[in-house]
Amino acid sequence: MSERRPFHRPQPRHWWAHKPYLAYTVRELSGVAVAVYGAILLAGLICLWRGPEAYAVYRRILSSDAAFAVHLVLLAAMLWHVLTWFQILPKTMPKLILRGRPVPQRQVTAIALLVAMVCSAALLVVVVAIGVTS
Amino acid sequence: MSDATIPSKSIELRVLRYRPASDREPVLVSYRVAYSDDMSVLQALQSIKDTQDGSLSFRWSCRMAVCGSCGMMINGEPKLACNTFVRDLAPDAVIIEPLQNFPIERDLVVTVGDFVKKIESIYPYIIPKVAKPVEDGAHLQTPAQMAAYESFSDCINCMLCYAACPQFGANPDFIGPGAMALLQRYNGDSRDGGRQFRLDQIHGEDGVWACTAVGICSEVCPKQVDPANAVNQNKTNSALDFFLHYVQPRSQP
Ligand code: SF4
Ligand code: FES
Repeated sequence: MSERRPFHRPQPRHWWAHKPYLAYTVRELSGVAVAVYGAILLAGLICLWRGPEAYAVYRRILSSDAAFAVHLVLLAAMLWHVLTWFQILPKTMPKLILRGRPVPQRQVTAIALLVAMVCSAALLVVVVAIGVTS
Repeated sequence: MSDATIPSKSIELRVLRYRPASDREPVLVSYRVAYSDDMSVLQALQSIKDTQDGSLSFRWSCRMAVCGSCGMMINGEPKLACNTFVRDLAPDAVIIEPLQNFPIERDLVVTVGDFVKKIESIYPYIIPKVAKPVEDGAHLQTPAQMAAYESFSDCINCMLCYAACPQFGANPDFIGPGAMALLQRYNGDSRDGGRQFRLDQIHGEDGVWACTAVGICSEVCPKQVDPANAVNQNKTNSALDFFLHYVQPRSQP
């Protein structure tokens, strides 16, 4: 007679709150911050569309200390999101083979980060230039 | 015998035991073992089995991180017991449990049937692109072509990656990291022509799309297989294939 009676152990309910999964949880939450920032920008566009008064209100809200603090937090979350996003990038693509050897994943992340930083800086220069000349 | 091999210190091992005939549920049982600096956790368990309780059950074979049989949770982390040294865990008590996310058969032995079925489901062999009679010689491959899949061929089916995967913990039907590593081992092989058959197995919620890129599977892998890379690059392949399947006719192997 078989004695088999497999026991099913449930996975710990709060696995996402503990190491080593916590880094993953923070990464996913930083995605929420990106969405929130997108919503703030969208609100600005809608105010712009509704007319000068609405846009003035939007600007007044943005210049408050609270809005400044929120933006600092969002910036930090955004930077973290960018960093972790590029850390995952090499996981999502086939191995890059150069001269018969796989390119180390850290190198892929570093190059992608560099390109992102250069593009962001270039965009900033363009925006500032437009602001100064108009 | 050098000093390092003479047991001079002792350590407490708390082993999660489950004897289906008598235990309603698993219980931690404590053992004290004398250890030397070169003793692995597997050897510590063997010493318990030899001198304290012969009914303690666990799997092992090679004792050198090759066969993949001795995976278990050591202080909450999925590890190979033969590859983990007692000296690195001492002096605190060590908690040893069966692999997380798998049904427990007995003590540290878990059910592997579903995992084996997943491996079988992805055609774990080369399906030659072009039929080539033996007399025509071998299918040649350059070092670069081999490098494209080599790490994935190092998988030893130890299932540590499954024990680390919260998505597998939530959905036992998820194909999972290990089977995907094997899939990529063949799909990435320049001699293979079975890519389509394998991709057909991994669409949908039990396929690659159950993965949310947690990534701990690759961190716990004792062979640096990087199963997270195998899963995530196949999300792109699966998505492309989804659109292509409207324009391409299909056949079965
Ligand atoms: S991918 Fe690594 S952790 Fe997963 S089964 Fe293979 S060897 Fe083990
Ligand atoms: S006994 Fe073979 S991998 Fe540990």
